[in-house]
Amino acid sequence: MKRLFWLVVSALFATSVVYADIDPNKEVIPGVKRGDTIIVEDPTGAITNPDSFNIWTVWAGGNGGWSHGLQQLAMDTLWLIDPDSGLAHPGEKDNTWHNSLAADRPAYNKDFTVMTVKLKKGIYWSDNVEFTSADVKYTVETLAQNPTALFGPQFKTDVKSMTTPDKYTIVFNLNAPNSRFHRNFTVRWNACWIMPKHRFEKDLKVATDLMTYNFNPPLSLGPYTLKDYDKHGGWFMWERRADWARTSIADFGKPVPPFVMYQLDLPNDKKVIAQTNHDLDMIHEVTPEGIISLAKNKWETNWFQGFPFGHPDPTLVAILPNNAKAPFDNKDVRWALALSLDITKVALASYKGAVTLSPLQYPPTGTSKKYYFDPMQGFLKDMTLDTGTNKAYKPYDTTVATKIGDMVRPTFGDAVPKDPTRLAAMLGQGWWKYDPKAASDLLIKAGMTKKGDQWYKANGEQFKITLFNWGTGNPTLQRLGTMVAELWTDFGIETTALWAQDNGTRYNLGDFDVNMGWNIESWGGNPDISFFADSMHSRFYTPIGEVHNGRNQVRYKSAELDKILDKVNLSDFNDTAKSAALGLEFLKLTAKDMPTIPLMSYNVMSSQDNTYWSGYPNFDKPYANPVTNWANSRYIFTQLKQMLPPKK
Amino acid sequence: MTFKHLFNKNFGKYLLGRIGQTIMVIIIGITITFIIPRLAPTNPVELKIQQMMVSGANIHPEAIRQFREAMNDIYGLKGTLLEQYVNFWGRLARGDLGPSIFSFPYPATDIIMKSMPWTIGLLLSTSVISWIFGNLLGGLAGYYSNRRWTRWAELLANSIRPIPYYIFAFILLIVFCFVFPLFPTLGAYDRGMDENWMNPAFLLSVLHHTFLPALSLVLTGLGGWLLGMRALVSNIISEDYVQYAEVAGVKKKTILYQYVMRNAMLPQITGLGMSLGGIFSGALITEYVFGIPGMGQLAYRAIVGFDYSLIMGVSIFSIVGVSVAVLIVDLLYPIFDPRVRLN
Repeated sequence: MKRLFWLVVSALFATSVVYADIDPNKEVIPGVKRGDTIIVEDPTGAITNPDSFNIWTVWAGGNGGWSHGLQQLAMDTLWLIDPDSGLAHPGEKDNTWHNSLAADRPAYNKDFTVMTVKLKKGIYWSDNVEFTSADVKYTVETLAQNPTALFGPQFKTDVKSMTTPDKYTIVFNLNAPNSRFHRNFTVRWNACWIMPKHRFEKDLKVATDLMTYNFNPPLSLGPYTLKDYDKHGGWFMWERRADWARTSIADFGKPVPPFVMYQLDLPNDKKVIAQTNHDLDMIHEVTPEGIISLAKNKWETNWFQGFPFGHPDPTLVAILPNNAKAPFDNKDVRWALALSLDITKVALASYKGAVTLSPLQYPPTGTSKKYYFDPMQGFLKDMTLDTGTNKAYKPYDTTVATKIGDMVRPTFGDAVPKDPTRLAAMLGQGWWKYDPKAASDLLIKAGMTKKGDQWYKANGEQFKITLFNWGTGNPTLQRLGTMVAELWTDFGIETTALWAQDNGTRYNLGDFDVNMGWNIESWGGNPDISFFADSMHSRFYTPIGEVHNGRNQVRYKSAELDKILDKVNLSDFNDTAKSAALGLEFLKLTAKDMPTIPLMSYNVMSSQDNTYWSGYPNFDKPYANPVTNWANSRYIFTQLKQMLPPKK
Repeated sequence: MTFKHLFNKNFGKYLLGRIGQTIMVIIIGITITFIIPRLAPTNPVELKIQQMMVSGANIHPEAIRQFREAMNDIYGLKGTLLEQYVNFWGRLARGDLGPSIFSFPYPATDIIMKSMPWTIGLLLSTSVISWIFGNLLGGLAGYYSNRRWTRWAELLANSIRPIPYYIFAFILLIVFCFVFPLFPTLGAYDRGMDENWMNPAFLLSVLHHTFLPALSLVLTGLGGWLLGMRALVSNIISEDYVQYAEVAGVKKKTILYQYVMRNAMLPQITGLGMSLGGIFSGALITEYVFGIPGMGQLAYRAIVGFDYSLIMGVSIFSIVGVSVAVLIVDLLYPIFDPRVRLN
């Protein structure tokens, strides 16, 4: 019996070795070899209408899937901004800015009512038709006639008319001054992609047919075309165009992998298994536990090549108090909530210490260190609050990175640097002090009293908070919310962390105390704040009970902020120094007002397998965002090295 | 027993009554599933907008306002609940569940029909296999309760039965996809194959991919049936007629299959009917763990995305499935049990 048992185990093991074998010649799909294919995760989840490649509707790909290779490999638009440092390329000093289909940066007239764009020559659709200004004009006109299309309402509101003086020039006449109109055609995560006029004119009888159009097979303006896909939406295979040099990616060189396959619908455990079995080269995001497990393998790389693993997304995770609801409408209360948080505990509970903290209303990533975080250090160190008992209380703490480093070193060992500068670059330069005494003073200043170990509002009611938390879909942020609730409860504010399906709807309506998530996302590579701050202008302010439009669901309103945003709207986007100066004004104002309690960048635990491909971006070589669903991830494919070419 | 004998006048009455009941259950069930999502505070349009914003899309506040109005219109969320209800029955009568809200304008019915074969294939086969083998082993274990192998079978069943099927699925995934990677982790069949059920290579691929999910469902299901049948048989073997048959020297096989197990079958048949009816809602976690594109995953995505049409579609199939299964079981009772026939 024993002999039989060991025989079975040995047979299983032997078979497993055969199965787990690294084989560049095995086929991923018929005719496509593993060694020629990079397998990339698309985190969208399986999509229900995979037959649709109409990226201009909100239903693109079903359940919101734009990122199964369509926007990364086949679509293109006028400009891209890299969220990290970008790659050197001809015609631009700023690596983060790429004139993609445009030949140059956008050119506005003096009052920003006309935008002229020169287009590149020699760019071709995958059916051998040249891309021209007629495509751009057609795209805007078609979308403007479809109010449920992405960018449709924007173009309808903003564009008065367009002219195409020649095949390579398009002029937009705008209804009102708008120095940021080009934003519609500038990719951060995505943007308005250009339509192939010759194909759409043939397929759409009227412009509104766009809403029910499948665009299948999609015509490509990028370096890859669709080869095959799963009819259940589980995977999409893209093949490099023979004429890739006639696409804008040629500015960076040849995309290396002949085939790119996007794999969808991968739960965390399966991602880890698939990458360990060398069946998944690029993981978009995995849990901290997952990446800790993967990082033990020699073939694995991640952004920091070890602790703290994750790429800081240009997205700011924050606690979002309802500024229109008492007592959160009081700045002192918001500050008290911030100072009653022990950020080291929050960091450990959420990302196991692998965080990049931000005390500012701005994500600490990309070029933000240069434009904002370094210049703001002096201001933050000198900034004072009136706590009621101390007129010049200094809330800034520059020791948090060191504290977190010391706490996680027993777990991660030498992977946690001791050099404070390197540690600060990884974990953040500082955050607000954990100071329950100062927080108590601020609550007393706001008219509250403490009875026993609980805080009571001026009207005698107990101060309780319902914190909208994340669900199990994002365990990292869920743990973060739970820890915040624990810390506030310990401080004497009874806090319930609640996840409910209608959290989002209630948040939009202003029917909440405190939410947790993000409302600030930056370009990453550019200091312009318009991307997220537009919605904060008081002209878009909506009172509680009305659905909010945009990103200011916390309902922050400030005349001073309006002035800054008006200046942004009438300043030249290309004047980076001016953009950064206005950004600093915004950061100083919001640092004092604390409309939301900024915590950290959304660190994306991306993991790469270097068995078949290597050369991925990382902290020391930050040429692109390693997060695979961003359109900018297209640049990565030009920088890879094929490690195991299959036999021809 | 003749056909005429079985389907007499009483049976006609019984049949009509049961069909009427079934129709009522279906109408009430569908009405409830129509109302509940619409009473929930979540709004699919707001969810879509949030999804776009979280994805990092850059949309101007004024554009969002216009977009919201247009979406409410296109989703048919305008009008009173009663108007929506009347329209819904009108569409349903034509077999149209309307477009999926999240995969607009793709019809919800088409999406469901794409997932249905996977769920039926997986759950029908595993339910029937576990039912047959569970009852057979349970019958044997109950009748030959003193034999060593029946005690082992019982012990095994008792050990597996309390393990939730999804935990069992996960254990199989770790052991046979990770430690010993004998089975694929992704998808329901090899990538790039045409979904042609007449193609033996495709069938083999499906078997390879669905072996582990099927095994997890069969083993956890089998334990329940085995223990249930064993308990029933243990009671029946002490009945006078069984004792008499044994004393009379009737063959053991005949006693077991014709006297004991046949009498123990009724509750098991009811159980089978219920579980077959329930297959339309899928085995969510098994499908999720093994990447099977079935109804369970679809139902989950529909609920998370608040896709009214899909929620309705999956629920309708489930309600109709369970109701019809119960009806069929009720109609089959007279065949198995003469006592039902008499009444």
